[in-house]
Amino acid sequence: MSLNPLPLSISRTGGCTLTGALSVTTGINDSVTIIHGPAGCAHHNFSLLHATILDNDCHIIPKVMSSGVSEHDVIFGGEEALMRAIMEVSSGDPGIIFVLSTCITETIGDDVLTVTQNAGVPVCMVPTGGFIGGDFEKGFSSALIAVSNLALPVHPTPSCNQQVRGSVNLIGEKNLEYEVEQNFLEVKRLVSLLDLTINLRFAHNITRSDINRLPLASLNILREPALSGVGDHLQSMFGTPYISSFPLGISGTLSFVRNVAVRSGLSPDEAFDSEKEHQEEIFEGFSDLREALVRLTIPAENPEYPLIKEISRAIGLRESPDGTVLPVPYPFPVGTSGIKRMLHLWRRTLTCRAA
Amino acid sequence: MPGCLNPVWPCALTGAVTALSGFSGIAVVIHGSSGCYFYPATLLHHDLHSTFLVEQEVIFGTSERLVEVVKDLSRTYKKVAVVNSCVPSILGEDIRDILSDYNIIFIDSPGFTGEFESGYLSAVKDLPVCMGQGTDRVNIEGINLIDPFARGNQREAERLLQLMGVPVGTIFCHDSYESLSSTAGLSVTVNPDLSTGYGQELGSFLGLSAIKTTAYSIADRFCKAETRGIENELLMVEERITKAADKYLKRFDPPTAAIFSTCSYSGFAAAILQQYLDADIVYCGVRNEPLISCTPAIKVTSLAIIESVIRELAPDLVIGSSFERSVAGDAAFIGLTPPIRGEFRLSSKPLAGTEGELSFMEDILNACMDYQHRKLVK
Repeated sequence: MSLNPLPLSISRTGGCTLTGALSVTTGINDSVTIIHGPAGCAHHNFSLLHATILDNDCHIIPKVMSSGVSEHDVIFGGEEALMRAIMEVSSGDPGIIFVLSTCITETIGDDVLTVTQNAGVPVCMVPTGGFIGGDFEKGFSSALIAVSNLALPVHPTPSCNQQVRGSVNLIGEKNLEYEVEQNFLEVKRLVSLLDLTINLRFAHNITRSDINRLPLASLNILREPALSGVGDHLQSMFGTPYISSFPLGISGTLSFVRNVAVRSGLSPDEAFDSEKEHQEEIFEGFSDLREALVRLTIPAENPEYPLIKEISRAIGLRESPDGTVLPVPYPFPVGTSGIKRMLHLWRRTLTCRAA
Repeated sequence: MPGCLNPVWPCALTGAVTALSGFSGIAVVIHGSSGCYFYPATLLHHDLHSTFLVEQEVIFGTSERLVEVVKDLSRTYKKVAVVNSCVPSILGEDIRDILSDYNIIFIDSPGFTGEFESGYLSAVKDLPVCMGQGTDRVNIEGINLIDPFARGNQREAERLLQLMGVPVGTIFCHDSYESLSSTAGLSVTVNPDLSTGYGQELGSFLGLSAIKTTAYSIADRFCKAETRGIENELLMVEERITKAADKYLKRFDPPTAAIFSTCSYSGFAAAILQQYLDADIVYCGVRNEPLISCTPAIKVTSLAIIESVIRELAPDLVIGSSFERSVAGDAAFIGLTPPIRGEFRLSSKPLAGTEGELSFMEDILNACMDYQHRKLVK
């Protein structure tokens, strides 16, 4: 299918801002998110979230309210429908109410901000607007920034200082990904090598009051570089420096340990050596794959190419045009544990081929 | 329309796309953004297309983009169906005029106009159907590709018609585009909620008594139709179910049940539970407007309300979708309503026909037995 030329920053298939924003706001367990639009928009997204929580064995069902915009509202304006929804939700006294607008209410010109300001109850509006407001990534970043603005300003106390020195925040975990918990556990393991703890998973399985802990960590670790705008925002608000990505690849994981240590004012040497030794032990466990013929199909300009190449070399695989194509999970596995899981996948692929 | 917490039923656009994508040879284009495309695409696992609109096209007009996509698809498909989503539907563009050079069907079924059934039926109404006057075949209606029982229902309806010696006409909505050019003048349905109005409706294959009545209606129209095979099968099925149900009732009290599905499926489930197990239907919730039902039904599409109903009434058995299962607690559960996630479904299980009756009753008895055993262990 041919595609009209578009400005480079616009993607036709980037998904909806609502889904991105909801993957953040529904990570706050005592929140209710109102989607100001037709019930179908809320159903599409709720259904996706529900499928994800079933996959992840999570038993907390997020609360997603639709303002139920109808044909009548499209003609005469949907602001009353939104106000009704806010009043209905506020009667349940949730920890926080979020409001997201959709493409249709954005197009008909509903003044969502004014409605939320006049509601008489605390409401956090996340600028979304369906596809009018951008794509999934934009909705995700906008929601993280909007939610971070709920954190109270920091007034350092002795106990608070203690926490600042000893903990990190995880920013923008992908709550919709299947291995979100495994990735969290891996980062937790890596920072624990430096005796650091996780202060806050922002925003995964937390409450409204937990958000106030956001400024208290010594370092923010972003899930991926695309969230650098969020990292900058948090740095300007709370002065917290950040690392732009979860650890990827062999040397990337070692660099991650070093960077976290340096940014936290700690010596990296012991943790670095320990992780290097751990990696070597794991690779030894896959020595049976040495000299296996493989083929890498990822383009060389892809950022994952050097990561795969590095892992392939560490195991002693041999590249050949007749080799087996190695599967590479998406998103790319996090840390050393992620590499180990991928190696099991590679072993299965190579073994199946041999059989 | 009032607000709805955690809505569990799709919009009109999804209904329209589901109906159209059931016909091979038709390229279905969602005229909207990628957000509107992804949900039906993941639900249907079917090749769908989209204009993937972006903001600048909302400002400057969508016609150029629409023509680009339709022109491309027209080279490979016999027909292109364009389904309008919310934003383009209010932009005021004359889509039919824009696409006047192409062989298209245009369905204006944006999400804010209603729910799944209204979109499905509105799409079917606008299909280029050519009705035959003859009564040499019978159409099958009510096939809905997001229904976990769609494949099984179709096979079962085809089998029953074959048993009667009656040729099958067009299958709504799972057939070829060409089949629309010679639609039969008579129809049976496996899901009365999705009756299209094409051809004279001879009845339903959902539930034993409906199958019997429908078989006689067909026989009235077809002098060569044979009902003895179906009559024998109905007797055998009733006997088998009765025997199994009696065995269950020898040991256990009838279950209390809460049902959440579409109107016809809810009515079917309630009837079978009452008839064979003397069950107490404590709640019958329906996703669509309750038009016909043997049990008083309440429209409910909010998971929050469903959860509170289940908590309050504490039924032994919950029948619904994976949404209901996630709030069913310790109750026995049977999947009846899409989506049914979190379990493998590989075979073509029917709900309609005699095999559907047997299969559903089997699920009920096994789920209730497991529930009773769990209770005993506790």
